[in-house]
Amino acid sequence: MRFHWSLSQVGDPFRRAAATRDMSGRIDLQCKIDFCQRAEQCGIDSVLMAIGFTRPDPMLLSVALGKETNTLKFMVACRAGLLSPTMFVQQINTVSSLLNGRVHINMVCGHTPGELRYYGDFLDHDARYERTDEFLTVCRSFWADAGDVDFDGTYYQIKGGRLHTRFSPDPARGPEVYVGGNSGPAAALAAKHAHCWWRLAEPPVRVAASVGVVLDSGCEVGLLVSLIARPTHEEARRAASALIGKFGDDAREVHRRFARGSDSVGFVSTYEAATADQEWLTPYLWTGAVPFLGAPAIALVGSNEEIAQALLDYNRIGVTQFLFTGWPDLDEMTSFSRHVLPRVRELEGRDGDEH
Amino acid sequence: MGTNTSVVDSKLRFHWRLPEAGETDGAVVTRDRDARDRGRPDLQAQASFCVRAESAGIDSVLVNLQFSVPDPMTLSLALATRTERMRFMVAVRPGLMSPTLLVQQVNTFAVLTGGRICLNMVAGHSPDEMRYYGDSQPHDQRYERMEEFLTVCRAFWQSQEPVDFKGRHYVIEQGRLNTRFVSDRETQPEIYLGGASAGAQEVAARHATVWMRFPDRPGTLRQDIQPVLSRGAAVGLRMSIICRPSRDEALEVIRTLMSSPQIEAKRRSEASFVKKSDSQSVRSVFEMAQDEWLTPSLWSGGAGVLGAPSIALVGSPDEVVAGILEFKEAGISHFIFSGWPKVDEMVRFGESVLPLVRRLEAASAARPTATPGGRKVVYRLD
Repeated sequence: MRFHWSLSQVGDPFRRAAATRDMSGRIDLQCKIDFCQRAEQCGIDSVLMAIGFTRPDPMLLSVALGKETNTLKFMVACRAGLLSPTMFVQQINTVSSLLNGRVHINMVCGHTPGELRYYGDFLDHDARYERTDEFLTVCRSFWADAGDVDFDGTYYQIKGGRLHTRFSPDPARGPEVYVGGNSGPAAALAAKHAHCWWRLAEPPVRVAASVGVVLDSGCEVGLLVSLIARPTHEEARRAASALIGKFGDDAREVHRRFARGSDSVGFVSTYEAATADQEWLTPYLWTGAVPFLGAPAIALVGSNEEIAQALLDYNRIGVTQFLFTGWPDLDEMTSFSRHVLPRVRELEGRDGDEH
Repeated sequence: MGTNTSVVDSKLRFHWRLPEAGETDGAVVTRDRDARDRGRPDLQAQASFCVRAESAGIDSVLVNLQFSVPDPMTLSLALATRTERMRFMVAVRPGLMSPTLLVQQVNTFAVLTGGRICLNMVAGHSPDEMRYYGDSQPHDQRYERMEEFLTVCRAFWQSQEPVDFKGRHYVIEQGRLNTRFVSDRETQPEIYLGGASAGAQEVAARHATVWMRFPDRPGTLRQDIQPVLSRGAAVGLRMSIICRPSRDEALEVIRTLMSSPQIEAKRRSEASFVKKSDSQSVRSVFEMAQDEWLTPSLWSGGAGVLGAPSIALVGSPDEVVAGILEFKEAGISHFIFSGWPKVDEMVRFGESVLPLVRRLEAASAARPTATPGGRKVVYRLD
């Protein structure tokens, strides 16, 4: 299994409790550098560099952080509506050259039509997936590094396309492509183009029901989930209660409004489950923070041993990658690498022996 | 853009074009579509160039954008982390990304570097190449789109309020960005806009800090740039410099350059580039290159082979400085230079040309009435 961590709230663990317009777009660079350097020591594969109007640009921030790290990869988020696929490939290839290949891409289709319009993008949910399909088709043609790129689609028309800056270090192998989203179109898009499909955590039975077509295509499945792992189950539960004890009606109202404005299937269904008093979806999968911090706050809560077992349960139904957040991220990640990860590797070895 | 004004005794500003990978040794690189070496960032050589340019007193380095080179925004940021004061003039074409995303990238760059970014807006000059990017706008609409693009960008930089814009090429609704532009000198990046057509001039007059163009004889230039100057934009020249201890040595450089083995291939590729280009400035300079010399120190004989930016001030330091100041008299306030060899020419400029320019500028500032008949040129400071 591979583990990634989101850089989204590093240095500002409760940013999602605030209204988006109040979220800081400033960069606490030193804090992010410290986190990335620690992530390298913790066995984290990559950090997610999210995209959105509340944040600095992920491509440029990755270049700045890449200079301060040696092995960590940067999973740069991209939305098709923002730039020409050729330009995107040129930027990613340049970054790959600057960072010696330490870049993945995380293709997302957007979650809030209102925000997409800030960027001049007015497409509806399903059309965005169609466009992203075309976008990735063009990008992957460039990354195949097999001559001029021609593409005649509804959203993009590329003629004789070529770029002299190729992906580094191996031009014949582009970046690993991650596609995010819980909806049917997202799964189909991932199956067609991605190395790994990101979806929000759900109970293992629900996840198992959705992954077949994706796994059959050879694409991996990864889960977005937060972590609250402590030495004992009771301590983890107490940490979870303490977390939501910090928030009041303001944070709740922020996410009520967000859910109304969102057309993301995963975000909205997770939010609805959380607000329908389904606080524990399984003994470890907890939605209690979602009404205050949003859908990505769905969390695995339990003892280090329980969390390791829970990750293995997901692994048995085909989940091979995880993207975590924590409160605060630095402490949770450090604790994960010391107390959960070694146990996961041990259990993985045992699972491997059985097969 | 506000129109703070000042007379021409302000100091000239000098920028230099960043050499591409494989160019640093001064070799003549063709536009050959298979010249793939140019695509690979050469961080070590390019960073070394920037460090030397910084100590030479160069204001910013121009980092080009086209299919055959790395992305200028990310490359510039990597170079900026290795310098302290140098600014990066990042080339931008409106057809390639949402203006909102461009502003987000620029603002992020500014936050990470203390505002060391300015923009070189270009409309694109080769329809074939633009289609590599999925961009098929005809020439006249490219400037209409540029106008809309810059209107949106400047609204983000100038207003704290959400941005609304409804145009033919962009529609932005309630646009916000939480990462703001940061600099201790200005509230938005300087915009250098290139292009000779009427459309380009109009957009430059409305939105640019500096209108960039190719050189001409100073007398002709003085008249041509008047409309843009009078509307508050500064004017800059994209050109080259060939400075040696003596004029004879400088002329020898031209002879060597024009007799290099690659020059025939370069001549062919340039002719085909110009034929396919729909850029008015590229074509008119190519025609101007029928004259070998525009003035005794202004060489245009290479333009047909090496491209329009190769029109060069040629001579000893004194002669080159005189040429620069003659342009200043005509109303020019910025230069983006390149030279051969790429690094040495820039270092020589910093050592033997720039100090002399500054000395003469200081002397003329101390004698404000010393140039009877010299016309007062107005340009923008912000």
